[in-house]
Amino acid sequence: MGLDPLNQTGRDPAMGSPRERLAALRAQLAAPGAPAAPRPVLPLGLTAIDAHLPGGGLALGPPHEIAPMEPADAVAALGFALALCAGRLARTQGAALIAAAPSQPLPHGHGLAGLGLDPARLLLLEAGGDADVFRALEAALHARALPVLIGLLADGLPLKPGRRLQLAAEGGADGDTPPLLLILRPAETGLPNGAATRWRIASAPAARDRFGTLDSPRWRARLERCRNGRGGDWLVEWDHAAHRLRLPEPLARDAAAAGRSRA
Amino acid sequence: MTRLRRAGLAPDRGPLAVAAEGPGGLRLLALDPEARALGLRPGEPLGRVRARIGVPLQVHPADPESDRAALLRLCRWAEGYAPGVALFGAAEAADGLYIDVAGASHLRSGEGPLVDDLAGRLARSKIAARIALADTPGGAFALARYGASDRVIVSPGGAAQALEALPVEALRLDPGTASGLRRLGLRRVGEVDALARGPLARRFGEALLLRLDQAMGRRPEPLAPLTEAAAYRAARGFLDPIGRQSDIVVTARLLMAEIAPRLERDGLGACALRLVLHRVDGVMRVLDLGLSRPERCPERVAALVSLRLDRLGAGLDAGFGFETVALTVTVTGALSARQTELGAAPQGDGIDALADALAQRLGRPLLRLGARASHIPERAARPLPWTADPASWPDHLPPRPLVLFPRGEAALDVLSTVPEGPPRRFRWRARIHAIVHAEGPERIASEWWHAPGAARDYYRVECEAGRRLWLYRDGPHAPGRPAAWFVHGVFA
Repeated sequence: MGLDPLNQTGRDPAMGSPRERLAALRAQLAAPGAPAAPRPVLPLGLTAIDAHLPGGGLALGPPHEIAPMEPADAVAALGFALALCAGRLARTQGAALIAAAPSQPLPHGHGLAGLGLDPARLLLLEAGGDADVFRALEAALHARALPVLIGLLADGLPLKPGRRLQLAAEGGADGDTPPLLLILRPAETGLPNGAATRWRIASAPAARDRFGTLDSPRWRARLERCRNGRGGDWLVEWDHAAHRLRLPEPLARDAAAAGRSRA
Repeated sequence: MTRLRRAGLAPDRGPLAVAAEGPGGLRLLALDPEARALGLRPGEPLGRVRARIGVPLQVHPADPESDRAALLRLCRWAEGYAPGVALFGAAEAADGLYIDVAGASHLRSGEGPLVDDLAGRLARSKIAARIALADTPGGAFALARYGASDRVIVSPGGAAQALEALPVEALRLDPGTASGLRRLGLRRVGEVDALARGPLARRFGEALLLRLDQAMGRRPEPLAPLTEAAAYRAARGFLDPIGRQSDIVVTARLLMAEIAPRLERDGLGACALRLVLHRVDGVMRVLDLGLSRPERCPERVAALVSLRLDRLGAGLDAGFGFETVALTVTVTGALSARQTELGAAPQGDGIDALADALAQRLGRPLLRLGARASHIPERAARPLPWTADPASWPDHLPPRPLVLFPRGEAALDVLSTVPEGPPRRFRWRARIHAIVHAEGPERIASEWWHAPGAARDYYRVECEAGRRLWLYRDGPHAPGRPAAWFVHGVFA
């Protein structure tokens, strides 16, 4: 759990002279089962999902890819990403950066309250294209000034920029917490890349409050790919007050009907 | 004229004239030497000229704006010699510029070499110019305009002697005064200067004496430089022109290191910087760097310059290299003393460093969401620079969509069961949406003080697939009027 041989070798070359690197590699070989320092993660607050993720949550640093199930679910995917962002911001200081390729939907400030996100803690960068988004994210990863980074791509995350982002995320000094890095891409493209997880999000009928009106947003979240973890498929609901995901109540299979019956 | 020929708009040879609308039709405004040799004079009506001379004459319409722009470009270029460059003003009634070389001539190893260098470069750029260097702006103007040679240098204190043989017009007098002096038989500056001052002032007014004294250096004449003499400026000239990016970055760092102690002494930091690169062939590259927070650390300035050059890439076009690099602090801000040496890590929260890096590298500013006091949804938010104060967001609004479209997108084929209620199904973005749940209406009236319009009735609807949309009907329901429906946003 949390031990990732690829990452270990990827981190060490930054340490200095070849002699030191060799020594570090030897030390690893000598104690293969030695516990690595636990990597910081963002728990989603749902044991059902967290158990599927290595380390018990979304690893901070490597990119996480979020794609809509269908093109029409793009806003649901953005909502899911901003919900995760709100969850991270609730646990730390600082602001989130959204770097968006042109013509990507940007959040409306008045709509963020529904996710429990303070608009004052969002920074926006309207980049000229996907390449600019990668540059901005890489610069922000190196700067270590922001706890959450979100990239809104027009195409997809190719292998090379994905790998660069991963290296930038690992490049920080010991002890500092890398940011949560989320990459939103459109539904169509599915290039192979270095993302730690890949989520597919679709809208689902929202939870109803006891008067039958629309309440918390719900999404169908499918974990398609998860390095060192297992995939899964859940119907989740965002609790904007507690800043955590929760499963819909077991009996509320037909949300609208449940709302009516309780009202 | 020079501008036309340099831009390739006029042939290099043949008489050329510029004409402008004057009293009684088009009149000649400016002439080149060949046209002058034909006996033409400025001010002649163009029709009479055409009738008088047999050779073809190229005539171009006057374009004062372009002339002024060209002159300003020349001024910017001339700032490479000395920072104090001023355009001729209303008093001179002519095109030209002053360069205040006081304290700058030694950089070109003396006044003579400086004037030679200036004349040589202008000649190579095919700019006809007359240059005079004197103690006073008035003296320099008189000698440049009316002197015997097109390259005059007056030694300090020699102004009176150099000027006395010049015509009185050289004193920048208004035409009435000049012709009055001529009527009295006073044709030379020396003759006027020899007269008693009292009668002169009574006869021609104080302006004549002022101009005379200014030319002779008896009264000061401050120039209004184009760019305020920057207190924080450093420049470096190179014997061998530099062209590599790394060299420019190193130079910028050295220049900033030169400026930094001065800034520190005054408790200031640079908020905006201008890096001017003078190319060997007279072309200038100006890079303006903005900083989100006052700064005087040479390494950070160099890093920003490097990012900017990264973005420019081949757009910088070093050509044969840059011979002068100048760094000016154009805007300063208060910055208390702090340690800049130890530790390269930026202090503070680091967002400002990131914002500057992004601005230089991508050329795009960092923004934040800002609220605006408006009921109209699309007017209620706008992006602000990230340094702006985060506005307070109203927390009593009904739910708003996560993504709001700039304007409503029409919902077509709308089917409603209740005439004044929300639709049951409609088509939007090439897809049929069947509504299973609707909440509303929330009526939002138009802001009649901006633009009159109908009130909108907003509904929050959820369709079968679980997508939540924000719909509005343009205008309240009225019998006999088809309702127009628009999708204005999507909820998360």
